[in-house]
Amino acid sequence: MSFSLLHPALAWGLLAALVPLAIHLFFRRRPRPTPFPAIDFILRARRETERRLRLKKVLLFTARTLLLAAVAAALMRPRLERPEEARAAAARGPSAVALVLDASASMGYRLHGETLFERARADLLAALDDLSGEEPATAVVCGGPAAPVAAPPTFDKAAVRRALREAEPTLGHGDMTACAAAAARALSESGTGASLSKRLVVATDLAASSWRLDAAPPMVQGASGRERPEVTLLDAARGEPLPNLALTELAAEPDSSAGLRGYRVTATVASFGEPRSNARARDVELQVHLGPPSTPVTMRSYAQVPPGGAVKKTLSVRFPQGGPASVSVTIPPDALEVDDARVATVAVPREVKTLIVNGAPSPVRHRDEAFFVEAALASNASPVRPTVVDADALRTVKLADYDVVFLLNVRALGPKAAELREFVERGGGLFLAMGDEVDPDRWDEELKGLLPRPLHVVKTAAERGAPGAESRAARFADIDWSHPALQVFTGPAREGFEGVRTWRYMLLKPAERGGPGDRVLVSYDDGAPALVEARRGQGRVVLYTSTVDRTWSDWTIRTSFLPVIQRLAAYLGGSLEERRDRPSVVNAPRAIVPDEGQRVAALVGPDGSERPASALRSDPKGALTLVPDRPGLWQVKVEEHGEQRLDPRLAFAVLPDPRESDTARLDPQELTAWFGGEGHARVASDAAQGPRQVPLWSMLLALGLLAFFAEGLLLV
Amino acid sequence: MTNGKPLLDPVVLARLATLHLRVRAITEGVLTGLHKSPHHGQSVEFAEHKEYAPGDDVRRIDWKAYGKFDKYYVKQFEQETNLRAFLVVDGSGSMGYRGVPERLSKLEYASALAASLAYLLVRQGDAAGLVVVADRVVKTIPARAAASHLPAIVDTLAALAPSGPTRLAAAVDHVLENAPRRSSVLVFTDLFDAEEKVLKQLALLRRRKHEVTVFHLLDPHEIDFPFEDPTLFLSMEDPREVEANGRDVRKGYLEVLHRWLEEVRRSAAEADLELVPCRSDRPLDGILLPFLARRERAA
Repeated sequence: MSFSLLHPALAWGLLAALVPLAIHLFFRRRPRPTPFPAIDFILRARRETERRLRLKKVLLFTARTLLLAAVAAALMRPRLERPEEARAAAARGPSAVALVLDASASMGYRLHGETLFERARADLLAALDDLSGEEPATAVVCGGPAAPVAAPPTFDKAAVRRALREAEPTLGHGDMTACAAAAARALSESGTGASLSKRLVVATDLAASSWRLDAAPPMVQGASGRERPEVTLLDAARGEPLPNLALTELAAEPDSSAGLRGYRVTATVASFGEPRSNARARDVELQVHLGPPSTPVTMRSYAQVPPGGAVKKTLSVRFPQGGPASVSVTIPPDALEVDDARVATVAVPREVKTLIVNGAPSPVRHRDEAFFVEAALASNASPVRPTVVDADALRTVKLADYDVVFLLNVRALGPKAAELREFVERGGGLFLAMGDEVDPDRWDEELKGLLPRPLHVVKTAAERGAPGAESRAARFADIDWSHPALQVFTGPAREGFEGVRTWRYMLLKPAERGGPGDRVLVSYDDGAPALVEARRGQGRVVLYTSTVDRTWSDWTIRTSFLPVIQRLAAYLGGSLEERRDRPSVVNAPRAIVPDEGQRVAALVGPDGSERPASALRSDPKGALTLVPDRPGLWQVKVEEHGEQRLDPRLAFAVLPDPRESDTARLDPQELTAWFGGEGHARVASDAAQGPRQVPLWSMLLALGLLAFFAEGLLLV
Repeated sequence: MTNGKPLLDPVVLARLATLHLRVRAITEGVLTGLHKSPHHGQSVEFAEHKEYAPGDDVRRIDWKAYGKFDKYYVKQFEQETNLRAFLVVDGSGSMGYRGVPERLSKLEYASALAASLAYLLVRQGDAAGLVVVADRVVKTIPARAAASHLPAIVDTLAALAPSGPTRLAAAVDHVLENAPRRSSVLVFTDLFDAEEKVLKQLALLRRRKHEVTVFHLLDPHEIDFPFEDPTLFLSMEDPREVEANGRDVRKGYLEVLHRWLEEVRRSAAEADLELVPCRSDRPLDGILLPFLARRERAA
């Protein structure tokens, strides 16, 4: 250990220790000669007390001198430091210093009761204290959403100290490579300390995910051109490994086997920061919450996570009601808590009330026009609740009580047509299927403007049962697989739809010029439309040009019939389009787009704090953009018709940055090599050797206080 | 009374220019005090009887002898004169000390006491002599009872100048040589003698049947030691000097002083000497009256 002074200029203060001596000499009076008879007694008394008095005087003088010297010495901020530190400081001479503080989410790792961020900040404050008065400094805090910037070095150490003290740990990713480059740029800028050598002091956890070693290392503009700066890496982890268990993925998919509103939740738990062969797998408890992590636990499960590996766990849950919802999974909190919970948002299917109007009822079930449709919609996994009425009974039914109406082989609507038109325009869904009972002319007349296209005539592709009819039957050819009702078919599953054979179907007239548009979802192989969709008012209409029984087509006995009918019902009822946007990542901008007539009033973070809309910025398109600073479920408070409410449909999940969960550390040699080798960079990891410097000022002040009390006791 | 203060207050006496005035003031005050108790006259010692003859004092007829022998006998006394007293005054340098200028020095205080006692003795017909001693006997006046003898004593005391070391033994030797019969020896000293065991010297007088009274004079500054600052203390009897901070040595000084005073008191008691402590700031009647009262009772 060597001794050094932070403020050597204050050594003049040590002269204060001479004050007692000066006072003693200055105020020393010549004794007044006084004749006195009992001089023998004085001599005897002095002889008896002389030693004690002399000792007291010496002690008093020592105490006073010590008191002043201790205070003066404490002001110089003396300290003991390790020889290599002192040698390095002496060798490098004064330099402009950039202090880079890693404030990324992984710095929230708690080690021995304090976070790595707190350690790193303390390290940098100590490094700042180490700087001499001739060394300007600047601070770069690395971890926010904005690109790292650094001010030029300044001699105002108080401002730099304040910047470090006010720095907050973030929950996002910190690109230390970019931060080091920004710090180097700040050092290169002309200004204070331009003529000095340049030095970076980086306090970090050395997480490999924070460094991009394939990028160019930082360079500074020196006196002789571009050169590598001297780099000191302060390892906040003090060389210790940082094992971390994290939830890295969470997916929620509908699970029909779990019934209506059943979901399959798949969580991935990964182990980071420890070698694979380190130990055996750990049992980790997973807790599922139907809502954010603050809601009660719905389900518990365990996963065995191997060291350095990952495991997926799938669990089935069932939501109590339809509509927008969220599900979260948590694991027991560990040293890094930010990635111990994940939230996903889901759109749980709502119930769709459907009226099936049977135009050709039959006592024989399989010949009944509505048999297959009702069977398809009434399955347990379907959110659709069908009600079947005959066409004759339609006039007694109030259409507004339903979400979707299926008209199956109905001859005509008569006076109910106007109500049906109003039903659709107000948002209702309408599915039309053809058949022998349908009168195209009356349909065209009664449902003019409501039909996607006017009906024309029935075409027979082949007579069913005739020789070669199977091959001559029409097939679905041009299919819009992107439609929500059809996009469930992928790969071989599409064959179940493509193999449908149709013997007879209704040809459609071309769409009226200037009329409302339509969209052909499926065509037959001859080009005739098979499934046509049109939007009318706020509602939708889907026209199927064949029958939903077995008289004109065999679709009803194909595997594709049930899912398509179910999804069409949901689509027409509006619940199929209720999908949730993909989750965001911390610090990634996200646009908040409310529905028409709504205005975003505020955003409510996972911690319950509200951010008013005025605090959000707008993107070039005018949409409000949030940069979420913490993971979890964010909710949107909208204002509609003068009232504010949380709109669950706009809630979104924000995920922790997966890079920050990976606490695997860089080999210090690798990082120092990137900075230019040992000649330019070194890692100061000194946990085993205790603090680099031992400040002595507090001990000196205690000594001064002791001297003060001793002086008081001697004067008593 | 003067300005509300007792006339015998040393501060008041110090304003009186001469010892004569002081003696008058003291003795008037003392006599005023003595009138309160009857004064019975001389001290005598029985020698023999003689047959009564006209002219003899009938008060001296021994009625017990008349009862035995049926004749009148008159008591004859060995010494018909009054008491013989030697006033031994310490005139050494230390007796010249006064703590504050307005106070009497110890020698002035001793002189006032001695002169007053001489006056009272001579007034009642006793013989009073004076011995002034320093390192040797400086001045002597033989003991006489004549009133004309008094001015010589007072003048001698008034002219005393303190100097030299103290050696009371010289005065003891002088009294032993010049006092053939039993006498009263009144010693006025601060007992700061160059020779230790000075009270043992005085005890010699007591062993020769002399009555010895030691008026032990000390200035208040010697008793209280009120010095605070660094002071160069100069000896008043020899060239010695010592520099000391009064505050530092006070405690030790007072301890030594009190030990010495206790030793003096104990030695005086052992030698059957009457010791009268005198602070030079105390009124003199406060010393004289109790002393005289004790003597009356003893007589």
